[in-house]
Amino acid sequence: MSEVFVTGASILKVDRYYENNIIDLAIGAISGLAEEISIVHPDILILANAYSESTTEQVLLSEKIASSLGLRVPAIRTEQGDASGGSAIFTAYSFLKSGIAKSVLIVGAEKLSDFPTNHLNDILAENLDEEYSYRIGMTQSSYAALQMKLYMKTYGVGYDYFAEWPYQMHKNASENHYAYLKFQVDKDTIMKSQIISDPIRLFDTAARADGAAAILLTNGELARKFSESKVKVENVYGSSFGYSMRELVAVREAWLPWRDFKPNFIEIHDSYSVIAAMILDEIGFERGKSLYNIADSQVNLSGGLKARGYPGGATGVYQLAEAYMQLTGTFKGKRAKNAERGAVVSTDDLGKVAYTIGLSR
Amino acid sequence: MKILPPKIWRNKETQYSLTATQCQSCGAYTFPPRHVCNKCGSFKVTKKKLSGKGTLITFTYTHQVRTGFERDAPIYFGLIRLDEGIEIVAPLVDVDEEPKEGARVEAVFRKLRVDSHNGLIEYGTKFRLIDNEQRN
Ligand SMILES: [Zn+2]
Repeated sequence: MSEVFVTGASILKVDRYYENNIIDLAIGAISGLAEEISIVHPDILILANAYSESTTEQVLLSEKIASSLGLRVPAIRTEQGDASGGSAIFTAYSFLKSGIAKSVLIVGAEKLSDFPTNHLNDILAENLDEEYSYRIGMTQSSYAALQMKLYMKTYGVGYDYFAEWPYQMHKNASENHYAYLKFQVDKDTIMKSQIISDPIRLFDTAARADGAAAILLTNGELARKFSESKVKVENVYGSSFGYSMRELVAVREAWLPWRDFKPNFIEIHDSYSVIAAMILDEIGFERGKSLYNIADSQVNLSGGLKARGYPGGATGVYQLAEAYMQLTGTFKGKRAKNAERGAVVSTDDLGKVAYTIGLSR
Repeated sequence: MKILPPKIWRNKETQYSLTATQCQSCGAYTFPPRHVCNKCGSFKVTKKKLSGKGTLITFTYTHQVRTGFERDAPIYFGLIRLDEGIEIVAPLVDVDEEPKEGARVEAVFRKLRVDSHNGLIEYGTKFRLIDNEQRN
Protein backbone atom coordinates (compact mmCIF):
# COMPACT_ATOMS: atom_id res chain seq x y z
CA MET A 1 0.00 0.00 0.00
CA SER A 2 1.26 3.42 -0.90
CA GLU A 3 2.27 5.95 1.71
CA VAL A 4 0.74 9.43 1.54
CA PHE A 5 2.60 12.72 1.85
CA VAL A 6 1.72 16.40 1.97
CA THR A 7 3.80 17.83 -0.85
CA GLY A 8 2.68 21.43 -0.67
CA ALA A 9 0.19 23.76 1.00
CA SER A 10 -1.04 27.26 0.30
CA ILE A 11 -3.49 29.45 2.20
CA LEU A 12 -5.11 32.84 1.76
CA LYS A 13 -5.60 35.14 4.72
CA VAL A 14 -9.09 34.58 6.11
CA ASP A 15 -10.84 37.86 5.36
CA ARG A 16 -13.72 39.66 3.66
CA TYR A 17 -13.12 39.50 -0.08
CA TYR A 18 -15.79 41.71 -1.58
CA GLU A 19 -13.94 41.88 -4.89
CA ASN A 20 -13.61 38.12 -5.34
CA ASN A 21 -16.01 35.24 -5.86
CA ILE A 22 -15.53 31.69 -4.67
CA ILE A 23 -13.71 30.52 -7.81
CA ASP A 24 -11.34 33.51 -7.56
CA LEU A 25 -10.49 32.47 -4.01
CA ALA A 26 -10.00 28.82 -4.91
CA ILE A 27 -7.69 29.73 -7.82
CA GLY A 28 -5.89 32.21 -5.58
CA ALA A 29 -5.07 29.48 -3.08
CA ILE A 30 -4.09 26.98 -5.80
CA SER A 31 -1.79 29.55 -7.43
CA GLY A 32 0.41 29.23 -4.36
CA LEU A 33 1.09 25.66 -5.52
CA ALA A 34 1.89 26.62 -9.12
CA GLU A 35 5.36 25.12 -9.01
CA GLU A 36 4.25 21.87 -7.40
CA ILE A 37 1.38 21.23 -9.82
CA SER A 38 3.59 22.01 -12.81
CA ILE A 39 5.84 19.14 -11.70
CA VAL A 40 3.13 16.82 -10.38
CA HIS A 41 -0.01 16.92 -12.45
CA PRO A 42 -2.95 16.19 -10.08
CA ASP A 43 -4.91 13.04 -10.95
CA ILE A 44 -8.00 14.19 -9.04
CA LEU A 45 -9.27 17.52 -7.72
CA ILE A 46 -11.39 17.63 -4.58
CA LEU A 47 -13.26 20.74 -3.48
CA ALA A 48 -14.17 21.08 0.19
CA ASN A 49 -17.13 23.42 0.47
CA ALA A 50 -20.23 23.35 2.64
CA TYR A 51 -22.59 26.14 1.76
CA SER A 52 -22.19 27.10 -1.93
CA GLU A 53 -25.82 26.35 -2.88
CA SER A 54 -26.99 28.97 -0.40
CA THR A 55 -24.08 31.42 -0.44
CA THR A 56 -23.31 31.64 -4.15
CA GLU A 57 -26.26 29.85 -5.80
CA GLN A 58 -23.73 27.49 -7.32
CA VAL A 59 -23.25 23.77 -7.81
CA LEU A 60 -20.78 21.93 -10.05
CA LEU A 61 -18.05 24.18 -8.63
CA SER A 62 -15.40 21.46 -8.61
CA GLU A 63 -15.71 21.13 -12.40
CA LYS A 64 -15.60 24.91 -12.80
CA ILE A 65 -12.39 25.11 -10.79
CA ALA A 66 -10.79 22.13 -12.57
CA SER A 67 -11.64 23.41 -16.05
CA SER A 68 -10.43 26.91 -15.13
CA LEU A 69 -7.10 25.28 -14.36
CA GLY A 70 -7.19 23.23 -17.56
CA LEU A 71 -7.27 20.03 -15.51
CA ARG A 72 -9.17 17.33 -17.41
CA VAL A 73 -9.43 15.06 -14.42
CA PRO A 74 -12.19 13.82 -12.13
CA ALA A 75 -13.24 16.76 -9.96
CA ILE A 76 -15.51 16.15 -6.99
CA ARG A 77 -16.86 18.13 -4.07
CA THR A 78 -17.20 16.87 -0.52
CA GLU A 79 -19.86 18.38 1.72
CA GLN A 80 -20.22 17.61 5.42
CA GLY A 81 -20.96 21.02 6.81
CA ASP A 82 -17.92 22.49 8.50
CA ALA A 83 -16.28 19.04 8.36
CA SER A 84 -16.19 19.22 4.55
CA GLY A 85 -12.44 19.85 4.79
CA GLY A 86 -11.87 16.76 6.90
CA SER A 87 -14.01 14.66 4.57
CA ALA A 88 -12.04 15.94 1.55
CA ILE A 89 -8.80 14.88 3.23
CA PHE A 90 -10.28 11.48 4.09
CA THR A 91 -11.36 11.04 0.45
CA ALA A 92 -8.00 12.14 -0.96
CA TYR A 93 -6.14 9.88 1.45
CA SER A 94 -8.29 6.91 0.39
CA PHE A 95 -7.63 7.54 -3.33
CA LEU A 96 -3.88 7.67 -2.72
CA LYS A 97 -3.76 4.72 -0.36
CA SER A 98 -5.67 2.55 -2.81
CA GLY A 99 -3.48 3.57 -5.75
CA ILE A 100 -6.40 5.01 -7.70
CA ALA A 101 -4.52 8.32 -7.75
CA LYS A 102 -0.86 9.24 -7.35
CA SER A 103 -1.60 12.87 -6.58
CA VAL A 104 -4.70 14.69 -5.37
CA LEU A 105 -5.21 18.44 -5.27
CA ILE A 106 -7.51 19.46 -2.40
CA VAL A 107 -8.92 22.96 -2.34
CA GLY A 108 -11.18 24.30 0.40
CA ALA A 109 -13.15 27.45 -0.41
CA GLU A 110 -16.03 29.27 1.25
CA LYS A 111 -17.70 32.70 1.05
CA LEU A 112 -19.51 33.69 4.25
CA SER A 113 -19.00 37.44 4.46
CA ASP A 114 -21.51 38.62 1.84
CA PHE A 115 -24.46 38.30 4.23
CA PRO A 116 -25.99 40.07 7.21
CA THR A 117 -25.69 38.04 10.42
CA ASN A 118 -29.29 36.80 10.60
CA HIS A 119 -29.21 35.58 7.02
CA LEU A 120 -25.96 33.74 7.61
CA ASN A 121 -27.47 32.22 10.76
CA ASP A 122 -30.24 30.90 8.52
CA ILE A 123 -27.74 29.33 6.12
CA LEU A 124 -25.74 27.73 8.93
CA ALA A 125 -29.00 26.38 10.41
CA GLU A 126 -29.17 24.09 7.37
CA ASN A 127 -26.93 21.89 9.51
CA LEU A 128 -29.98 21.14 11.70
CA ASP A 129 -32.60 18.51 10.91
CA GLU A 130 -35.04 19.88 8.35
CA GLU A 131 -38.42 18.85 9.69
CA TYR A 132 -38.18 20.01 13.27
CA SER A 133 -35.11 21.91 14.50
CA TYR A 134 -34.72 24.08 11.41
CA ARG A 135 -38.40 24.98 11.35
CA ILE A 136 -38.71 26.03 14.98
CA GLY A 137 -36.06 28.70 14.40
CA MET A 138 -33.13 27.13 16.23
CA THR A 139 -29.70 28.58 15.66
CA GLN A 140 -26.37 26.82 16.05
CA SER A 141 -25.47 29.22 18.86
CA SER A 142 -28.70 28.39 20.76
CA TYR A 143 -27.73 24.76 20.63
CA ALA A 144 -24.17 25.46 21.77
CA ALA A 145 -25.55 27.68 24.57
CA LEU A 146 -27.54 24.73 25.93
CA GLN A 147 -24.43 22.55 25.77
CA MET A 148 -22.51 25.27 27.60
CA LYS A 149 -25.06 25.48 30.43
CA LEU A 150 -24.98 21.72 30.89
CA TYR A 151 -21.17 21.79 30.87
CA MET A 152 -21.11 24.53 33.52
CA LYS A 153 -23.42 22.51 35.72
CA THR A 154 -21.64 19.18 35.22
CA TYR A 155 -18.17 20.52 35.99
CA GLY A 156 -19.06 23.39 38.29
CA VAL A 157 -17.32 25.99 36.15
CA GLY A 158 -18.35 29.60 35.53
CA TYR A 159 -18.16 31.81 32.48
CA ASP A 160 -14.57 32.78 33.30
CA TYR A 161 -13.54 29.19 32.47
CA PHE A 162 -14.69 29.61 28.85
CA ALA A 163 -13.05 33.05 28.56
CA GLU A 164 -9.69 31.24 28.63
CA TRP A 165 -10.33 30.07 25.09
CA PRO A 166 -10.83 33.37 23.18
CA TYR A 167 -8.09 34.92 25.30
CA GLN A 168 -5.53 32.33 24.15
CA MET A 169 -6.83 32.15 20.56
CA HIS A 170 -6.46 35.89 20.05
CA LYS A 171 -3.03 35.75 21.59
CA ASN A 172 -2.03 33.06 19.08
CA ALA A 173 -3.67 34.80 16.13
CA SER A 174 -1.91 38.08 16.88
CA GLU A 175 1.23 36.41 15.51
CA ASN A 176 -0.45 34.66 12.56
CA HIS A 177 0.16 36.36 9.22
CA TYR A 178 -3.01 34.75 7.80
CA ALA A 179 -5.36 35.53 10.71
CA TYR A 180 -8.62 37.43 10.25
CA LEU A 181 -8.70 38.89 13.79
CA LYS A 182 -5.02 39.57 14.34
CA PHE A 183 -5.25 41.23 17.75
CA GLN A 184 -5.07 40.33 21.41
CA VAL A 185 -8.00 40.80 23.74
CA ASP A 186 -8.20 40.97 27.54
CA LYS A 187 -10.52 38.79 29.59
CA ASP A 188 -12.62 41.71 30.74
CA THR A 189 -13.51 42.59 27.14
CA ILE A 190 -14.39 38.94 26.46
CA MET A 191 -16.59 38.67 29.54
CA LYS A 192 -18.45 41.91 28.76
CA SER A 193 -18.93 41.27 25.03
CA GLN A 194 -22.37 41.16 23.41
CA ILE A 195 -24.63 38.25 24.39
CA ILE A 196 -25.50 36.12 21.35
CA SER A 197 -27.42 33.32 23.06
CA ASP A 198 -27.00 33.41 26.80
CA PRO A 199 -24.43 32.38 28.11
CA ILE A 200 -22.65 32.50 24.73
CA ARG A 201 -21.11 35.87 24.02
CA LEU A 202 -19.62 37.31 20.86
CA PHE A 203 -16.10 36.23 21.80
CA ASP A 204 -17.26 32.63 22.23
CA THR A 205 -18.24 32.43 18.57
CA ALA A 206 -16.24 31.83 15.40
CA ALA A 207 -15.21 34.77 13.21
CA ARG A 208 -17.12 34.04 10.00
CA ALA A 209 -15.37 35.15 6.85
CA ASP A 210 -14.16 34.10 3.39
CA GLY A 211 -11.18 31.92 2.69
CA ALA A 212 -9.49 29.32 0.57
CA ALA A 213 -6.64 26.89 1.11
CA ALA A 214 -5.04 24.29 -1.13
CA ILE A 215 -3.01 21.16 -0.47
CA LEU A 216 -1.24 18.75 -2.77
CA LEU A 217 -1.18 15.17 -1.47
CA THR A 218 0.93 12.61 -3.30
CA ASN A 219 2.22 9.08 -2.97
CA GLY A 220 5.82 8.44 -1.87
CA GLU A 221 7.24 8.17 -5.38
CA LEU A 222 6.04 11.64 -6.39
CA ALA A 223 6.88 13.15 -3.00
CA ARG A 224 10.55 12.29 -3.68
CA LYS A 225 10.57 14.75 -6.59
CA PHE A 226 10.53 17.56 -4.04
CA SER A 227 13.54 18.40 -1.97
CA GLU A 228 11.70 19.89 1.00
CA SER A 229 11.40 17.84 4.17
CA LYS A 230 8.62 15.32 3.80
CA VAL A 231 5.45 15.35 5.86
CA LYS A 232 3.70 12.01 6.04
CA VAL A 233 -0.03 11.56 6.56
CA GLU A 234 -0.05 8.76 9.12
CA ASN A 235 -3.74 8.07 8.77
CA VAL A 236 -7.20 9.64 8.60
CA TYR A 237 -10.15 8.41 10.67
CA GLY A 238 -13.76 9.50 10.76
CA SER A 239 -16.98 8.95 12.68
CA SER A 240 -20.61 10.14 12.68
CA PHE A 241 -22.89 10.11 15.68
CA GLY A 242 -25.66 12.73 15.72
CA TYR A 243 -26.65 15.32 18.27
CA SER A 244 -25.50 14.83 21.77
CA MET A 245 -25.83 17.51 24.38
CA ARG A 246 -23.27 16.31 26.90
CA GLU A 247 -20.50 14.63 24.91
CA LEU A 248 -19.06 14.46 21.40
CA VAL A 249 -19.11 10.77 20.64
CA ALA A 250 -17.98 11.15 17.01
CA VAL A 251 -14.88 13.06 18.14
CA ARG A 252 -14.11 10.47 20.80
CA GLU A 253 -14.40 7.58 18.34
CA ALA A 254 -12.42 9.27 15.58
CA TRP A 255 -9.68 10.05 18.13
CA LEU A 256 -9.47 6.56 19.62
CA PRO A 257 -6.85 5.23 17.14
CA TRP A 258 -4.56 8.19 18.03
CA ARG A 259 -4.51 7.69 21.77
CA ASP A 260 -0.80 6.71 21.75
CA PHE A 261 0.22 9.13 18.99
CA LYS A 262 1.07 12.02 21.33
CA PRO A 263 1.11 14.93 18.88
CA ASN A 264 3.28 17.93 19.80
CA PHE A 265 0.57 20.28 18.57
CA ILE A 266 -3.04 20.04 17.45
CA GLU A 267 -5.61 22.05 15.51
CA ILE A 268 -9.27 21.65 16.51
CA HIS A 269 -12.58 23.04 15.20
CA ASP A 270 -13.51 25.59 17.87
CA SER A 271 -16.84 26.83 16.53
CA TYR A 272 -17.74 27.89 20.11
CA SER A 273 -15.66 28.04 23.29
CA VAL A 274 -17.76 25.21 24.72
CA ILE A 275 -17.21 23.05 21.64
CA ALA A 276 -13.45 23.61 22.02
CA ALA A 277 -13.71 22.40 25.62
CA MET A 278 -15.85 19.39 24.65
CA ILE A 279 -13.46 18.38 21.85
CA LEU A 280 -10.42 18.63 24.14
CA ASP A 281 -12.28 16.63 26.81
CA GLU A 282 -12.83 13.86 24.24
CA ILE A 283 -9.21 13.70 23.05
CA GLY A 284 -7.56 13.06 26.37
CA PHE A 285 -7.46 16.38 28.21
CA GLU A 286 -8.74 16.40 31.77
CA ARG A 287 -12.52 16.64 31.60
CA GLY A 288 -13.92 19.92 32.82
CA LYS A 289 -10.43 21.41 33.06
CA SER A 290 -9.18 21.23 29.48
CA LEU A 291 -9.34 24.97 28.85
CA TYR A 292 -6.99 25.69 31.75
CA ASN A 293 -4.10 23.95 29.98
CA ILE A 294 -4.25 25.30 26.46
CA ALA A 295 -1.33 27.73 26.65
CA ASP A 296 1.12 24.88 27.36
CA SER A 297 -0.38 22.20 25.17
CA GLN A 298 0.05 23.93 21.78
CA VAL A 299 -3.60 23.79 20.74
CA ASN A 300 -4.63 25.96 17.77
CA LEU A 301 -1.44 27.95 17.34
CA SER A 302 -3.22 29.47 14.33
CA GLY A 303 -5.74 31.19 16.59
CA GLY A 304 -8.50 28.79 15.56
CA LEU A 305 -11.91 29.63 14.17
CA LYS A 306 -12.15 32.19 16.93
CA ALA A 307 -9.37 34.43 15.63
CA ARG A 308 -7.60 32.96 12.60
CA GLY A 309 -11.15 33.00 11.33
CA TYR A 310 -13.86 30.61 10.21
CA PRO A 311 -14.10 29.88 6.47
CA GLY A 312 -16.92 27.27 6.74
CA GLY A 313 -16.22 23.98 4.97
CA ALA A 314 -12.71 25.12 3.98
CA THR A 315 -11.60 25.10 7.62
CA GLY A 316 -10.25 21.54 7.69
CA VAL A 317 -8.03 22.30 4.69
CA TYR A 318 -6.63 25.33 6.53
CA GLN A 319 -5.96 23.17 9.58
CA LEU A 320 -4.03 20.59 7.55
CA ALA A 321 -2.08 23.32 5.71
CA GLU A 322 -1.17 24.96 9.03
CA ALA A 323 -0.05 21.66 10.50
CA TYR A 324 2.10 21.01 7.42
CA MET A 325 3.67 24.46 7.76
CA GLN A 326 4.39 23.79 11.43
CA LEU A 327 6.16 20.55 10.57
CA THR A 328 8.20 22.14 7.79
CA GLY A 329 9.03 25.22 9.86
CA THR A 330 7.34 27.53 7.37
CA PHE A 331 4.31 28.68 9.39
CA LYS A 332 4.14 32.47 9.48
CA GLY A 333 3.00 32.73 13.06
CA LYS A 334 3.51 31.14 16.45
CA ARG A 335 5.67 28.04 15.89
CA ALA A 336 5.18 24.72 17.66
CA LYS A 337 8.06 23.60 19.84
CA ASN A 338 9.52 20.15 19.03
CA ALA A 339 7.26 19.84 15.99
CA GLU A 340 7.63 16.19 15.05
CA ARG A 341 4.00 15.08 15.09
CA GLY A 342 0.82 17.09 14.60
CA ALA A 343 -2.89 16.28 14.60
CA VAL A 344 -6.00 17.86 13.13
CA VAL A 345 -9.57 17.39 14.36
CA SER A 346 -12.05 18.53 11.68
CA THR A 347 -15.70 18.55 12.75
CA ASP A 348 -19.00 20.19 11.87
CA ASP A 349 -19.85 23.14 14.09
CA LEU A 350 -21.64 21.06 16.75
CA GLY A 351 -19.36 18.02 16.68
CA LYS A 352 -21.74 15.49 15.10
CA VAL A 353 -19.14 14.23 12.66
CA ALA A 354 -15.39 14.18 13.09
CA TYR A 355 -12.30 13.46 11.03
CA THR A 356 -8.91 13.10 12.66
CA ILE A 357 -5.66 13.37 10.76
CA GLY A 358 -2.19 12.56 12.10
CA LEU A 359 0.97 13.95 10.49
CA SER A 360 4.63 13.32 11.12
CA ARG A 361 7.94 14.38 9.63
CA MET B 1 -37.72 32.58 3.22
CA LYS B 2 -39.73 30.03 1.29
CA ILE B 3 -42.65 28.18 2.85
CA LEU B 4 -43.94 25.51 0.48
CA PRO B 5 -47.23 23.66 1.12
CA PRO B 6 -45.91 20.16 0.23
CA LYS B 7 -43.17 20.51 2.82
CA ILE B 8 -45.61 21.60 5.50
CA TRP B 9 -48.07 18.86 4.55
CA ARG B 10 -45.63 15.95 4.80
CA ASN B 11 -44.36 17.35 8.09
CA LYS B 12 -47.75 17.66 9.76
CA GLU B 13 -47.42 14.81 12.24
CA THR B 14 -44.04 16.04 13.46
CA GLN B 15 -45.01 19.66 13.93
CA TYR B 16 -48.75 19.46 14.65
CA SER B 17 -48.91 16.47 16.97
CA LEU B 18 -45.32 15.90 18.08
CA THR B 19 -45.15 12.38 16.64
CA ALA B 20 -42.04 10.25 17.15
CA THR B 21 -41.18 6.69 16.19
CA GLN B 22 -40.61 4.02 18.81
CA CYS B 23 -38.40 1.01 18.21
CA GLN B 24 -40.09 -2.39 18.66
CA SER B 25 -36.75 -4.04 19.39
CA CYS B 26 -35.11 -1.74 21.95
CA GLY B 27 -37.89 0.68 22.87
CA ALA B 28 -35.93 3.84 22.02
CA TYR B 29 -37.72 6.87 20.63
CA THR B 30 -36.56 8.76 17.55
CA PHE B 31 -37.64 12.36 17.04
CA PRO B 32 -38.14 13.73 14.45
CA PRO B 33 -39.59 10.34 13.41
CA ARG B 34 -37.65 8.07 11.08
CA HIS B 35 -38.48 4.63 9.71
CA VAL B 36 -35.43 3.28 11.52
CA CYS B 37 -34.20 3.29 15.11
CA ASN B 38 -31.16 5.54 15.62
CA LYS B 39 -30.06 3.50 18.67
CA CYS B 40 -30.04 -0.10 17.38
CA GLY B 41 -30.67 0.25 13.64
CA SER B 42 -33.86 -1.79 13.63
CA PHE B 43 -36.37 -0.94 10.89
CA LYS B 44 -39.22 -2.25 13.07
CA VAL B 45 -40.57 1.00 14.42
CA THR B 46 -44.04 2.32 15.08
CA LYS B 47 -45.32 5.87 15.17
CA LYS B 48 -46.17 7.22 18.56
CA LYS B 49 -47.73 10.52 19.51
CA LEU B 50 -45.75 12.09 22.34
CA SER B 51 -47.58 13.45 25.39
CA GLY B 52 -46.14 16.93 24.97
CA LYS B 53 -45.58 17.10 28.73
CA GLY B 54 -42.16 17.36 30.21
CA THR B 55 -39.60 19.01 32.45
CA LEU B 56 -37.30 21.88 31.60
CA ILE B 57 -33.67 20.77 31.98
CA THR B 58 -32.09 24.07 31.01
CA PHE B 59 -32.66 26.98 28.63
CA THR B 60 -30.99 29.78 26.70
CA TYR B 61 -32.13 33.27 25.80
CA THR B 62 -31.22 33.85 22.16
CA HIS B 63 -30.71 37.45 21.06
CA GLN B 64 -29.14 36.84 17.67
CA VAL B 65 -31.77 35.03 15.62
CA ARG B 66 -32.38 33.96 12.02
CA THR B 67 -33.98 35.81 9.13
CA GLY B 68 -37.74 35.42 9.51
CA PHE B 69 -37.65 35.18 13.30
CA GLU B 70 -36.72 38.79 14.11
CA ARG B 71 -40.20 39.60 15.43
CA ASP B 72 -39.92 36.85 18.02
CA ALA B 73 -36.49 37.95 19.27
CA PRO B 74 -35.13 37.48 21.81
CA ILE B 75 -36.29 33.85 21.97
CA TYR B 76 -36.11 31.39 24.85
CA PHE B 77 -35.10 27.88 23.77
CA GLY B 78 -35.50 25.12 26.31
CA LEU B 79 -33.92 21.69 26.57
CA ILE B 80 -36.88 19.57 27.65
CA ARG B 81 -37.08 16.01 28.93
CA LEU B 82 -40.45 14.71 27.82
CA ASP B 83 -42.27 12.32 30.13
CA GLU B 84 -41.51 9.53 27.64
CA GLY B 85 -37.83 10.03 28.55
CA ILE B 86 -36.54 11.67 25.38
CA GLU B 87 -34.98 15.12 25.21
CA ILE B 88 -35.98 17.75 22.69
CA VAL B 89 -35.17 21.42 22.19
CA ALA B 90 -38.10 23.78 21.68
CA PRO B 91 -38.97 27.48 21.81
CA LEU B 92 -40.63 28.56 25.07
CA VAL B 93 -43.56 30.97 24.81
CA ASP B 94 -45.64 33.10 27.19
CA VAL B 95 -42.64 33.45 29.48
CA ASP B 96 -43.43 36.10 32.10
CA GLU B 97 -40.55 35.49 34.43
CA GLU B 98 -37.14 33.87 34.03
CA PRO B 99 -37.73 30.10 33.53
CA LYS B 100 -36.44 27.80 36.27
CA GLU B 101 -34.65 24.52 35.72
CA GLY B 102 -36.99 21.74 36.69
CA ALA B 103 -40.17 23.61 35.72
CA ARG B 104 -43.00 21.58 34.18
CA VAL B 105 -43.78 22.43 30.56
CA GLU B 106 -46.38 21.46 27.96
CA ALA B 107 -46.61 21.65 24.18
CA VAL B 108 -48.79 24.28 22.52
CA PHE B 109 -49.70 24.92 18.89
CA ARG B 110 -48.33 28.23 17.63
CA LYS B 111 -47.29 30.22 14.58
CA LEU B 112 -43.68 29.48 13.62
CA ARG B 113 -43.00 31.84 10.73
CA VAL B 114 -44.53 33.73 7.83
CA ASP B 115 -43.30 33.65 4.24
CA SER B 116 -42.23 37.21 3.40
CA HIS B 117 -43.20 36.76 -0.28
CA ASN B 118 -46.48 34.86 -0.43
CA GLY B 119 -47.76 35.38 3.13
CA LEU B 120 -48.12 31.65 3.88
CA ILE B 121 -47.95 30.88 7.60
CA GLU B 122 -46.26 27.83 9.05
CA TYR B 123 -47.55 26.49 12.38
CA GLY B 124 -45.90 24.12 14.77
CA THR B 125 -45.07 23.16 18.32
CA LYS B 126 -43.71 25.41 21.04
CA PHE B 127 -43.78 24.89 24.80
CA ARG B 128 -45.11 26.90 27.71
CA LEU B 129 -44.39 26.73 31.42
CA ILE B 130 -47.18 25.10 33.44
CA ASP B 131 -45.61 25.83 36.78
CA ASN B 132 -42.30 27.59 37.05
CA GLU B 133 -40.75 25.97 40.09
CA GLN B 134 -37.17 24.96 40.52
CA ARG B 135 -36.61 21.24 40.96
CA ASN B 136 -33.29 19.52 40.85
ZN1 LIG C 1 -33.91 0.24 18.59
